[in-house]
Amino acid sequence: MGRLFKRTVILLSVLCLLCAGCGTAESGSRSGADMAADEEETPEALYRKALEEDVLIVYTVSTRVAPVKESFEKAYPGLSVEIRDLRSPNLIEEVEANDKNSVSSCDVVLCNDNSGDFKTRLVDTGIVVPYLPSDIAAHMKTGMTGEMVSFFNEAELLFYSSAKYEKCPIGNLWELTDPIYRGRVFMPNPLRSFSTWALCGASLDHADELREAYREYTGEDLAEDNGENAAEIFWRRLSENLVFTNSSDEVVEALSSGNADFGFCVSSKLRFRDIGYEIEPVWKLAPFTGCRTTYAVMMARNARNVHAAKLFIRYMLGETDGSGEGYKPFCTVGTWSARDDVPDGSPVPLDEIDLITPDQDRLIAGKKRIETFWTGIMKESTVTGK
Amino acid sequence: MSKRLLCPILLSCIIVMLLSGCGSAVPRGTLHVALPYSDNVQDADTNYYIGWLEDRTGLDLEITTVRQTRSTDYLDMLFSSDTDIDVILFGGDFTVSPETVEAYVRAGDIDDTDGVSWYANAGADAREGAGQILWINYEWLTGLGLAIPTTTEELEAVLCAFRDRDPNGNGLKDEIPLAGSMDAYVYSPVEFILNAFVYNDPIHSRYGLGDDADVLMASSDGFREGLAFCRRFYAEGLLDAHFADCSRSLLSELVNSPSDLVGAFTTGSISDVVYQGNPEIMARYVHVLPPEGPGGVRNALYSVQEPTVGAVITKRSTKKAEARKLLETMLSEEASLIARFGERGVDWDFSDGLDVSIYGGTSTVVTRNYIWNTSQNKHLNGIGPMNVPERYIGGVTWNGVNSDAEYIDGRAQMSYREFLPAADRFHERDEALSSYMDRAVADFVLGKRDIGSDREWEDYLKELSSY
Repeated sequence: MGRLFKRTVILLSVLCLLCAGCGTAESGSRSGADMAADEEETPEALYRKALEEDVLIVYTVSTRVAPVKESFEKAYPGLSVEIRDLRSPNLIEEVEANDKNSVSSCDVVLCNDNSGDFKTRLVDTGIVVPYLPSDIAAHMKTGMTGEMVSFFNEAELLFYSSAKYEKCPIGNLWELTDPIYRGRVFMPNPLRSFSTWALCGASLDHADELREAYREYTGEDLAEDNGENAAEIFWRRLSENLVFTNSSDEVVEALSSGNADFGFCVSSKLRFRDIGYEIEPVWKLAPFTGCRTTYAVMMARNARNVHAAKLFIRYMLGETDGSGEGYKPFCTVGTWSARDDVPDGSPVPLDEIDLITPDQDRLIAGKKRIETFWTGIMKESTVTGK
Repeated sequence: MSKRLLCPILLSCIIVMLLSGCGSAVPRGTLHVALPYSDNVQDADTNYYIGWLEDRTGLDLEITTVRQTRSTDYLDMLFSSDTDIDVILFGGDFTVSPETVEAYVRAGDIDDTDGVSWYANAGADAREGAGQILWINYEWLTGLGLAIPTTTEELEAVLCAFRDRDPNGNGLKDEIPLAGSMDAYVYSPVEFILNAFVYNDPIHSRYGLGDDADVLMASSDGFREGLAFCRRFYAEGLLDAHFADCSRSLLSELVNSPSDLVGAFTTGSISDVVYQGNPEIMARYVHVLPPEGPGGVRNALYSVQEPTVGAVITKRSTKKAEARKLLETMLSEEASLIARFGERGVDWDFSDGLDVSIYGGTSTVVTRNYIWNTSQNKHLNGIGPMNVPERYIGGVTWNGVNSDAEYIDGRAQMSYREFLPAADRFHERDEALSSYMDRAVADFVLGKRDIGSDREWEDYLKELSSY
């Protein structure tokens, strides 16, 4: 064997060893995405491994994770959960920023997935990945699983103040544009609230129904000009009466105190009725009273605490039979279960409410138009000091 | 190298050397600044705002940390020693009244050049609004199936349930239905409850407002009825047995306890008591509108934030001009925004106008990192002079964090608005009278004096009229 050949063989051997070494190191630190595919681990096995991990960090748009954290920490002594409770757009920014680190300080993400931003920026990019154990997957309703795990349904819905009205005083959405309601209709800023964005955006696809409802309300045809369709005309006219808020919480507070007559907000706020808030949902309204929304629970692909994250998701989804404590805080009035073995939290079935369903692809495609429209509305409202 | 070429090079070198020598020969003025200790300021040596002030003024600030909280003790010790301090900053737990400053001016210890004896701190908080908010444990309410109380009668029923039905579920009778402290009026539930019986403004010596600005509400029958109600709360164990001796920091520990001990409490801002960065605790409490009393009275305490003393210059300072330059810089808008919100572009930025302010108006400032009342190193957390324009304090935009204290406060403020009385005139505070009434209120509630006794009430009124 020639000297050159020997050297080449030695060099190749060293390279092979190095590569193999790299491979071993890689498989020793599997990413969240790899681990998410491994769906058959038992809670006991996950717990054992989670005890060797750090504090689990959960990014959420729902304050209802707080009681889940408390019961989870009791159920699994030795594990700690830290909650980062953010509004959807801020949550997406933070999770994106975290992903730039090789090891994320975000493990689990709970977010409203309706605007399209969650899908395009976190799901399609693989920044977050689904984790759904097969025993739980067997009980998820159709449409709730796939590239995202949607764990409960809500609606962005019209409410009225029961402090002021014994029953809903309107039967047609266009009635909200009546000047008697000036400054009396509250709604979260659609540029900052994903569920409100979804309602406003989805309404563009229901211009025909809005046009028909206008004819029913006024007896006249709606004059459409400036290239705006019936939905945009509706929102522009309504904006004269609207008071924009930062969140649904402000809406229900204003309704309950009688400072508002009507308000659009997420249906789960109906739970505040249990502690005396004087708010009532509008289930029936021509042509619609709101839109469906869903909430996704996902794992960060760079999750530092993969086993704790999986255990937490299992726990939050209610475990195998849905009776787990972790799902209960989400099964409140104003929500609808994602599981076929857990009853809805609301007395009225979702399909009996006058709701529209956002088409996420159309929301994504129409983002520029929606954004331009509402930026104009918000700027006008700023100028007029509403 | 030719001499012709060498000469200019040598000359240049000499000039550069001279210039650099000149640079180091110009001394930066050094100011000795006394800074009160704060848990919320990590390290003065590396503090962003102090660094910014040094850059802006060209002064070196040598910081001495003040550990005392009784400002007069510190001032007496300072002025009886030969300690070299030019500027004393106030704020946090280390405060001084303008009257006290004037006493030190008269004693020749504090400078009052051009009639300026102190530099104001204004705009740390919203200038006007509800001065006291009641917060209640939402989880206890839902756990027990109770509604938020809207009347004093309902409040009593809710607190009884908190006392009797083990809402924290640990099997122990360790719940404090209504916690409080007498460290400041805002922490005293008694002051809050009295507002359901009569307009009770302890900040202005319990006089009325507007046309009633000279009417002493503390002598009214409604006030007595309210005290009797509070006495019952205390006697029945609804109001914390130790509230009269409880400090603000102890109140804070109770509220933040992981054992979930407290049902309700009052504050000016929720961040006065609940630790920032603790979203579970923040989520635990929701504001309660002022309850309606038996006579239909339902008031919120109207509060106007008066500027406080932010800093003084010592008479002995040999660098008064530099000290004034520092303090006037701190009062500039640019400095005040850093002092309130932190580093621009990192912790906050000006709003693009597409947001809604947390107080419901036009947005002006977006907070990216809410660092107020947290352990941070960007500013002095309200210590020292500042003058934040109202449009920024009132125009703060929500940063999207559900547990953001300013957002939670803002929502409470908006809800309380309709219960604020129209206030166009306040009675000036009378310290001696207030001091007497504070003692009397505590004595009646704690049972040291009998609120049910006409004779004791007459005695109280008689003493009141002597002020």
